[in-house]
Amino acid sequence: MKEEIIKTDVLCVGGGIAGLMAAIRAAELGVSVVVAEKGNPLYSGCGRMGNDHFETWIPEVHGEDRDAWIGELLRTAKGEILISKDILRAQFMKAYDIVRLWDGYGIPMKSKGRWEFGGHTFPGRPFTHIKYEGRFQKKILVKQARDRGAQIMSRIMVFDLLHANGTVIGAIGADTREDKVYIFQAKAVLLGTGKCSRLYPSLTPGWMFNDPHGNVQSGDGRAMALRAGAELQNLEMPQRHIGPKYFAKFGQATWVGVVRDWHGKPAGTFADKPDRRYGDMICEVNKLAPEQYTKAGKGPLYMDCTGISEEDLQYMLHWFVHEGNSSLLDHMQAEGIDLRRHPIEFTTYPLRGGGLIAANAKTETTIRGLYAAGDEAYGDISAAATFGYIGGENAAVYAATVAETDIQGRRTFIDEKKGLLDRLRGRSNGPDWEETQTALQQTMLDYAGHVRNETLLLQGWHHLHRIREKAGATLMARNPHELGRCLEVLNLLDLAEMTFIMALDRKETRGLHVRPDYPFTNPMLNQAHVISRQDGKPLLQWRPY
Amino acid sequence: MPPVIDPEKCTHCGKCVEICSEDVFYGSKSGEIPTVTYPRECSHFSGCVSVCPTQAITLRIPLPMLLVYKPAAEELQKPVWAKPTTHGPEI
Repeated sequence: MKEEIIKTDVLCVGGGIAGLMAAIRAAELGVSVVVAEKGNPLYSGCGRMGNDHFETWIPEVHGEDRDAWIGELLRTAKGEILISKDILRAQFMKAYDIVRLWDGYGIPMKSKGRWEFGGHTFPGRPFTHIKYEGRFQKKILVKQARDRGAQIMSRIMVFDLLHANGTVIGAIGADTREDKVYIFQAKAVLLGTGKCSRLYPSLTPGWMFNDPHGNVQSGDGRAMALRAGAELQNLEMPQRHIGPKYFAKFGQATWVGVVRDWHGKPAGTFADKPDRRYGDMICEVNKLAPEQYTKAGKGPLYMDCTGISEEDLQYMLHWFVHEGNSSLLDHMQAEGIDLRRHPIEFTTYPLRGGGLIAANAKTETTIRGLYAAGDEAYGDISAAATFGYIGGENAAVYAATVAETDIQGRRTFIDEKKGLLDRLRGRSNGPDWEETQTALQQTMLDYAGHVRNETLLLQGWHHLHRIREKAGATLMARNPHELGRCLEVLNLLDLAEMTFIMALDRKETRGLHVRPDYPFTNPMLNQAHVISRQDGKPLLQWRPY
Repeated sequence: MPPVIDPEKCTHCGKCVEICSEDVFYGSKSGEIPTVTYPRECSHFSGCVSVCPTQAITLRIPLPMLLVYKPAAEELQKPVWAKPTTHGPEI
């Protein structure tokens, strides 16, 4: 397999919002920057086709008392959060600056010359999210990064970190278009590979890519950080979202409607008619509502926009495009679905892998020179943009103070990884990535799914371990594209095993981690659950947020 | 299967092949009509549709992804929704 060595001060893994913002900031501080993205950064990540909400404090609207606004946010809109409040505070100390930066880049953050607010807010409470026209945000951010000298490399699946003596020194990536491996020698690496959305089956059985994330987000950053010895947090706490059935797309706060049953009765108490300012907060308060209605024999539930004014309808359709939902609009038009007449069924989307890379408010992980931002560490667009910027700055400052480490000292490790790629490409008659992924997903759903207990988890862990061993010995890739998918599945298998270990260790019921053998929430566990691999063995710790 | 390319309109520019992060067009040859090699990996965000300079691409939404909507009241009056005649004991 061909090999190319690329030297850079800062390597950003993933060209989503966080990776691009890190590249922009690091490059403007004068260090060399490479962004390596397994797809195309013009069209990757959760912000690929746009976003229309950006969470921020705006002084001329909310007043100068930022802490009061943050306090309000924590009391109401945020619900239970599984990260440090210091991190949230750091986000909102900076988010307004990022809003102004983006506006300067050419991403319209104001509407008709003023701040427009909507969605994600309880009626009568201070607004939290500005509406912004994010349809072309990726194109604009890629240009900003390039203008500052960052090198953008597409179709490179970075799959392992190079490290020595607790310090990151680079990374290894596979080209997904030709048989070629890239060895990055980097003083600092920022991971921004997004969520871990493919651990469980999708909305459509067997149709893995019907997912609001787009489903190329396979926890790559988490997995490579874990293998390098970094700490991961709360992997056993899965997430679920809510949205249209069966066309899985995010953006529930863009809908101007009321969540109602077949007979028109609202499911929540926050809205009784379409309101463009607030939407229906039941979608935020209880994403399980559609599933609960169905189980209670009261389903289905709809996002009901009937009764909406023509002006508000046009308003909503405008923001749908910026939220990245133009394909949903095209589909409704093709099917003759008219939101003024047709309530759209909403559903609770399936389980998605949870957790994150443990990073502080400076985006530093527990490995020197390794940073994490975006959904990898703490997500949503505002957090991705803000912590991407913060991470890029810290990575650049750090990179300017350290000497580069020759990656040839890690040649044995590199050759082992190249051997893995050769084996995957050289095999025939083994399971492909899709077969392996199917086995993984069914095991996760059945044994670490909606209900968990000790014996179920032990059995599932044992079974998963067998799949992992077999995949390690027989998984095959017919071409470089499938090689990338195989590397994703191997990452998911590592994270799946850690999920079982962490779920066994969390002896309580909390959120979507339901353990009937430990049915109560234990207040003593209001802490970060942290895992790392030390000397090849998992090490679990509880630590205050 | 999504996406569907109109061969009459396609100018073989390759923009769709480059934009797709899922790389459903993997293996397409430069200067030819792109091949949809991995249709099941399409995420239906319309990136290819949006970059096509000649509007040659449409997404065919697969049947499992059809949006579910509640029919309007007058649509429920159509004969197809009339209650079937039941022959059986009165309960």
